[in-house]
Amino acid sequence: MKVRKDQGAARSGFEDWYWQRLSAIVLALLLPLPFVLIIAVYSGRVDQFGLLDLLDHPLSRLLHTLLILALIVHAYMGLKVICEDYVPHIGWRVTLIGAMLVVMSGFGIWWLAMIWAWGG
Amino acid sequence: MGEMIRLTVFRYDPERDAKPSMQTFEVPLLKPGMKLLDALNHIKWELDGTLTFRRSCGEGVCGSDGMNINGVNGLACITPVAGLKQPIHVRPLPGMRVIRDLVVDMDHFFDQYRQIEPWLQTSTPTPEHERLQTPEERAELDGQYECILCGCCTTSCPSWWWNGERFLGPAVLLQANRWLVDSRDEATGKRLDQLEDAFRLYRCHQIMNCMDACPKELNPTAAIDSIKRKILARKS
Ligand code: SF4
Ligand code: SF4
Ligand code: FES
Repeated sequence: MKVRKDQGAARSGFEDWYWQRLSAIVLALLLPLPFVLIIAVYSGRVDQFGLLDLLDHPLSRLLHTLLILALIVHAYMGLKVICEDYVPHIGWRVTLIGAMLVVMSGFGIWWLAMIWAWGG
Repeated sequence: MGEMIRLTVFRYDPERDAKPSMQTFEVPLLKPGMKLLDALNHIKWELDGTLTFRRSCGEGVCGSDGMNINGVNGLACITPVAGLKQPIHVRPLPGMRVIRDLVVDMDHFFDQYRQIEPWLQTSTPTPEHERLQTPEERAELDGQYECILCGCCTTSCPSWWWNGERFLGPAVLLQANRWLVDSRDEATGKRLDQLEDAFRLYRCHQIMNCMDACPKELNPTAAIDSIKRKILARKS
């Protein structure tokens, strides 16, 4: 192994770690909700209009927004760590992480636009 | 002749061999409770003097005979041959450059150890007598100070294999924590500054290989966690 000159600490890494854990907690709390909803629809307890009413409610929109944000943050942090582990070439690593950031935030913005445009 | 033990040992001399090979040996069971190091010594002294490995204390104190035994890192001197599946596969510690046979280049490992400045640092004036600790403060060091720097944990850590040039690895991080929890050390802030890094510290993904590998039954994962919690507390 190459012995590298000590570069000191970059004073980074804490935020990634913190957000990954925070988003994990939010996901653990909110992710079951859509499944409950799906089960409710398939068991016939909620019909199509009932479902739309539920999704339209400001509180559901808020929770939905939180869920999507947490999902994207969590996925981004996870994939970033994987890139840092397995992509040794710095140029490729930075390009890949940058591309991921663009694609995932694009997806997030599109989804959020859908949430807040409904029925509006 | 009595019972024989079969071993297959990693052989490599970079100056002569194109590539490494495994050599098979048979060694008599010399005594009850015989350790793997006894078998290696027997090979070196009686069968093949060219076999090269490090050892010194012979009793789990110096940390020089860390090696990969049937796929698991450990110290040859305290590993009984009795419990091992035969032939016993003996290889050098993984992820390090082989100098010869079972001897690996540990320069980078000790270089990383140096990076955490493993000595007591103070800014208050030196007291007339020693710097005192209460029994409770001393107890904080238990499970931290016993590390013998054998490298068994660090060389079993996948994160260190992938990013070892920057990730400090479990042994060094355990030592970093040893100075953080020492009530007499006054450089906590500086030490945390030096650890807060996506690669140096946060590369640990809690895979826990390190804990399984440690022959002194220490828990580097918990130490790494404790460093992360200290940084969290400092920021929150
Ligand atoms: S717990 Fe951390 S340091 Fe230990 S083996 Fe896993 S990644 Fe490496
Ligand atoms: S923590 Fe255990 S395995 Fe790691 S270097 Fe220290 S004694 Fe060896
Ligand atoms: S020879 Fe000293 S630890 Fe094994």
